[in-house]
Amino acid sequence: MNRSYYWLVLGLSIPAFLWLVPTIWMVSLSFQPNEVLARSTSTTAFGLIPLPFTADNYAALFAFGQTPWWFLNSLIVALGMTFGVLAVSTTAGYVLARMEFPFKRTITVICLIGLMVPEQAVFIPLYTMFADLGWHNSYRALILPRMAVPIGVFLMLQFFRAIPKDIEEAARLDGVGWLKIFWYVMLPLARPAMMTLAILTFLYAWNDYLWPLVSAQQQEYFTITLGLASIQSNFAQSEGLGRVMASGVIASLPVVILFLIFQRYVVQAMTVGGSKG
Amino acid sequence: MRDRSRSRMSQTQAAAILLAPFLITYTLFLIYPFFRGVWISLHDWNLLAVAFNPDATEFVGFRNYERVMWGRNIEWGLFAAPFWQITGLIGLALSVILRRVDRLSRFNAIALGLASLLLVFLPGFHPGEGGRWYDRRFWPTVGNTLVFVGLAVPGVTISALVLAAAMNRETRAMGALRTLFFLSQVLSVTVVTLIWQIMFSPRQGLIANITETFGGTPINWLTDQQFAMAAIVIATIWWSLGIAMILFLAGLQDISQDIYEAAALDNARGVRAFWYVTLPNLKRTITLVVILQIILHFQVFGQSHLMTQGGPNDTTQVLVRYIYQTGFRDSELGRASAMAVFLFVIMGTFSVIQFIVGREKS
Repeated sequence: MNRSYYWLVLGLSIPAFLWLVPTIWMVSLSFQPNEVLARSTSTTAFGLIPLPFTADNYAALFAFGQTPWWFLNSLIVALGMTFGVLAVSTTAGYVLARMEFPFKRTITVICLIGLMVPEQAVFIPLYTMFADLGWHNSYRALILPRMAVPIGVFLMLQFFRAIPKDIEEAARLDGVGWLKIFWYVMLPLARPAMMTLAILTFLYAWNDYLWPLVSAQQQEYFTITLGLASIQSNFAQSEGLGRVMASGVIASLPVVILFLIFQRYVVQAMTVGGSKG
Repeated sequence: MRDRSRSRMSQTQAAAILLAPFLITYTLFLIYPFFRGVWISLHDWNLLAVAFNPDATEFVGFRNYERVMWGRNIEWGLFAAPFWQITGLIGLALSVILRRVDRLSRFNAIALGLASLLLVFLPGFHPGEGGRWYDRRFWPTVGNTLVFVGLAVPGVTISALVLAAAMNRETRAMGALRTLFFLSQVLSVTVVTLIWQIMFSPRQGLIANITETFGGTPINWLTDQQFAMAAIVIATIWWSLGIAMILFLAGLQDISQDIYEAAALDNARGVRAFWYVTLPNLKRTITLVVILQIILHFQVFGQSHLMTQGGPNDTTQVLVRYIYQTGFRDSELGRASAMAVFLFVIMGTFSVIQFIVGREKS
């Protein structure tokens, strides 16, 4: 730790602070009264410090308005999708990594080739399928299509491949069946990978925009991400800047908290998601 | 013997049971929709008409592709878009020359050669006398998307690389700084656009407020043709720097400290060490990050849809937004699907390149 190191930290703090400014600004605006914001958004320190201070925007958000409802929708969709993806991906990943069966190579290739298919290439046919079934504006329409993503299988496959074989072979010799080995031996070992996958899926579900936009047309089924898009185009007239910003803060809270608590997993998850999704 | 065959049977059965849930959802919601999308793209398929009468589709073969990508009296000329085509020719010449003198590996020479060939070939198409594109907006939209990718990818890559190199130390302060830079990455696209729409607002925006304090005239970022694209690129860089930075940090950890010490003996420290040691050793990571970013940013939608609505004057209209509009505002699912297949081909090509590059060394 020499002098140049401290200069470096100091020099990096400036861009880091600038990087944070937009977020601080959103939080700060959400704590200022709408009447003040209508006149000026830079009352104290360019608006970066919330003076005059008020929590009314949050109170109003929970008293009326749909934000709490959207928040709940997001929670249901994100948790449902997370459990779904974990269930289908851990099992499939384990089978492809460890078990022998006919056409294994072909099936593995088929399962992973979907990594090449972007969401944008299938959202129109998916829309027509769910329209034929009359399933739009429901939780299943928001959850089911994303359970089909191969990224989870890819992640679990790689993880299970790296586990030494002798653990399960010992169990095999004791005559334990395949399903039991999977459930009692492999799943407990897979916890870190499952955690990464769970966070990746939750973040994805929480932040997804395109599919909810086409599938959920009734406001009751909006996720918070979608709801926020619907109120930001005419924020000035309808609800006031402070309240829209408060919605933005509420929408970001779960992912930011998740990030701050499980930083290591989140970074890992987003790196995997970014490099393969 | 019998015992063994029975246990093999049960292994296959167990595999089938465990694999079934994924295979079923995967087939129903990814594989089938993909082929159905191709099928729709071969039809005249109006969203509203089909909603009233499921048989209101008409098979038209490849006509949707023609209507989207082709036109009347389209000609090809070597000097239709001189800048790009000459750049392509130079690239082509370079790939041959550098390969001859052995400065390029065979793989890179082929890649550069193919890319240059496309650059000579594709921009050469233009409507001849009395001709016109059937869809005047499609190719400009593809062009805008490429401009967006061309600005966002170098922007993210260079800033992430510099930051990662500066923060490549395991100390508490560096950890905290990394957290700050990564934080915006977890936000949703609608939060990002909410923040930046108001940041850029000429009346209420933070940027305008600061400019005015110092006596400048605020720029109308989102509605000015010159600045709209820059604005969504800035918001995108702010949003997506984190992943690139983390990937670079991971790559930097693989460079052994000995190399830096050896370089320090040759008086290569700081910027010189970055240039002569870090960059050459990080080549593969940089390539991967760039390809990954191209794939990621080619799918841009929310920023353009929410911040500028594709405007002003279509300057920020991007491919996914055009697909969305063609399908869900104009109800032309057939044409929209043809564009979606086009998008898939481009992104699929980059996925294959990513796969090859990722495999090359590992």
